[in-house]
Amino acid sequence: MGVALIFYVVWPDRTGTEAERQALHEGRVIITYWDRHSGHEHTERVKLIQEFNRSQNKVYVRAVPIGYNALMEKTLTSIAGGAPPDILSMDGGIMAQLAAHGLFLPLDDFVASVPALDATLFFPYVWDMVSFRGRVWAIPTTTDTYCLVWNKAAFREAGLDPDRPPGNWAEFMDYIARLTVRDSRGAIERMGFLPWIPWDQSFMWGVLFGGEWYNETTGRSEAGSDPHIIASFRWQQSFTIAPGATEQSPHAMRPERIESFSRGIGDYMSANNPFYSGRVAMISEGEWQVAFIPKYAPGLDWGVAPLPQPPGVEPLAFGPTIVADVIPATARNPEAAKMFLRWFYSPRGNGASSPAADYNEAIRNIPPRINEACEPRFIEHPRFSVFVRQLLERRVVSYPTTPVTQYLTDQIVRQRERVTFRLATPEEAAQLVEENVNRALARARALMERRRP
Amino acid sequence: MTRWERRHLRNGLLFASPWIAGFVLFALYPLLMSIYYSFTAYNVVQPPVWVGLDNYRELFFEDPLFWKSLYNTLYFTAFSVPLSLIFSITLALLLNQKVAGISVFRTVFFLPSIVPVVASAVLWLWVLNPDSGLINSALRGWVGIEGPGWLADARWSKPSLILMSLWSVGGAMVIFLAGLADVPQTLYEVAELDGAGPVNKFLHVTLPMLTPTILFNMVMGLIMAFQYFTQVYVMTGGLGTPVDSTMFYALYLYRSSFYYLRMGYASAMAWMLFVVILVATLGVLYSSRKWVFYHGD
Repeated sequence: MGVALIFYVVWPDRTGTEAERQALHEGRVIITYWDRHSGHEHTERVKLIQEFNRSQNKVYVRAVPIGYNALMEKTLTSIAGGAPPDILSMDGGIMAQLAAHGLFLPLDDFVASVPALDATLFFPYVWDMVSFRGRVWAIPTTTDTYCLVWNKAAFREAGLDPDRPPGNWAEFMDYIARLTVRDSRGAIERMGFLPWIPWDQSFMWGVLFGGEWYNETTGRSEAGSDPHIIASFRWQQSFTIAPGATEQSPHAMRPERIESFSRGIGDYMSANNPFYSGRVAMISEGEWQVAFIPKYAPGLDWGVAPLPQPPGVEPLAFGPTIVADVIPATARNPEAAKMFLRWFYSPRGNGASSPAADYNEAIRNIPPRINEACEPRFIEHPRFSVFVRQLLERRVVSYPTTPVTQYLTDQIVRQRERVTFRLATPEEAAQLVEENVNRALARARALMERRRP
Repeated sequence: MTRWERRHLRNGLLFASPWIAGFVLFALYPLLMSIYYSFTAYNVVQPPVWVGLDNYRELFFEDPLFWKSLYNTLYFTAFSVPLSLIFSITLALLLNQKVAGISVFRTVFFLPSIVPVVASAVLWLWVLNPDSGLINSALRGWVGIEGPGWLADARWSKPSLILMSLWSVGGAMVIFLAGLADVPQTLYEVAELDGAGPVNKFLHVTLPMLTPTILFNMVMGLIMAFQYFTQVYVMTGGLGTPVDSTMFYALYLYRSSFYYLRMGYASAMAWMLFVVILVATLGVLYSSRKWVFYHGD
């Protein structure tokens, strides 16, 4: 009886949505799409997927919002368990690491068969992230970059011109001090800027200081002897004071106090986001804020400009990551998956732009193909264009593609903490990043060597 | 074996077979495989590569975070287990009084231990918020002092978690309550005849009679504390911040396996943890001969 009941409930005709059952009856191939985006971003993706489902009668795509949390674990267990989705969207860094371990289908032949996926159409750094060891592993969907975003009301309160961002590094530091407000107890009411809000961005700051965490030529980290990397750590350290020292400048304080502040702030995707609530006056943020701020902080008056860099460094843009689609090597319906991807990334028949470009517009991310990023809806938007132009006009640096990228970024965050908690000097911290990462690289490479047939 | 006995054996095995199959498939096999994996480099998806003792050598001699995470875990265990015992015995004694509405109190004190761990961790994040949390607001408003940074301060993060662990001692408390109900009234009467006051009755009757329960709760507490994971994963986003002060052993094991794709290394860590727990448990059991009294003794 019980067994019969279970069969009754899980019988294919009874599972899934009405539309899925309908698709099954029509004899369509049903494929599963795991969406790294969640919330309103997933909703936008689903709209486009439904358009695909209506456009033909062979394949039906079922979208599942997986979200960013524990993406790696979910991916690994699904693949190891033999039940992977047919398409996965994921961040470039994780993608590269998993591709290096042989989890995904190489897409060279597929890419060659789709004119809209020609390598020359993409921002070079984006294509570098999906193509390595001579193969293409993923199709880039969105890309990002960071800029300085500031709260104009806070500028006015501090007696600064709300329409003029800091023009150079010295001015940036001066603004931070002037925008920081503390109460009578010394607790922070408003922080001018804090490099690790909304999250640790030490990798980027090392780059914007002119440094290099990983040398592509030697295939090693040489951070320990890179004066720019050390300088970036020292700058982050200037936001805290050593034990027993007195607080000299308004924004430099005991590490515990500043950590308390950064822990005490509200959720990122909510009205309590410290930038939206006015608790941080300037912040290093991505272009998605063009969509987020009207949603979570409708009244906020804000400006955007490229991030300041220390003097003497070439103006750079940081491309923190991409979100890209991959097909797991063990996916059940790779051909149906490719059919969907071909539709999603190609211009629509009537000369209209690709669904991928529309998706970027809907969630306010930057299209990774240059021609799409230059469409008026992106390049002529007053705020969004600042982000896009930065990618078009500057040299873009991103995370390196290594088998230990996650470990590398973990190490940087860990050592940055030790520096700002005054447990290590910037020199020691940079040296430790170098040593630990090189050891992990050597181990990973030795293993790959042994796996080679 | 007679035919009758054979039939009984067969039927017995048949009835136990779901459990036996489950145990072999889902416990014994993974257990044995993890020993093998601990001598390999394994990323779940590709076949494991034999590396001999490399994982263990790296653990002991090349990985400071292994020692740091072990230290953090031992620190947590050393404080949270005894404190939880004291706390739960005290609660059980209070809730063993014959006053009106005692079952309401018992329910109230037991409630926290049925709150899902993730929910209580999020709740405590808010309680311990250095800026606007309940504790620091109370300290500021009523006592007039600035509270510590709790989870934001490397010196306070572990004590914060220990404090938090005391909130959910309900399970141990219930077992102690049962233990208290088991203490024969005659012993108290005899003690009273000998002129023992409440303190002496507790020290010389209640406590010795509770020692088997204490032993049980202590061993269970040790095992749980060594595997402490969920709360700290939720509260630090899995990073063990600040400055690795909450990088507990199980958390580091998890990071090694799922973030760095080093299942072999994580298996080696798991077996080291097994050894540590085994030694601690055997130590407690061995010492129990000296301090645990059973009714018949």
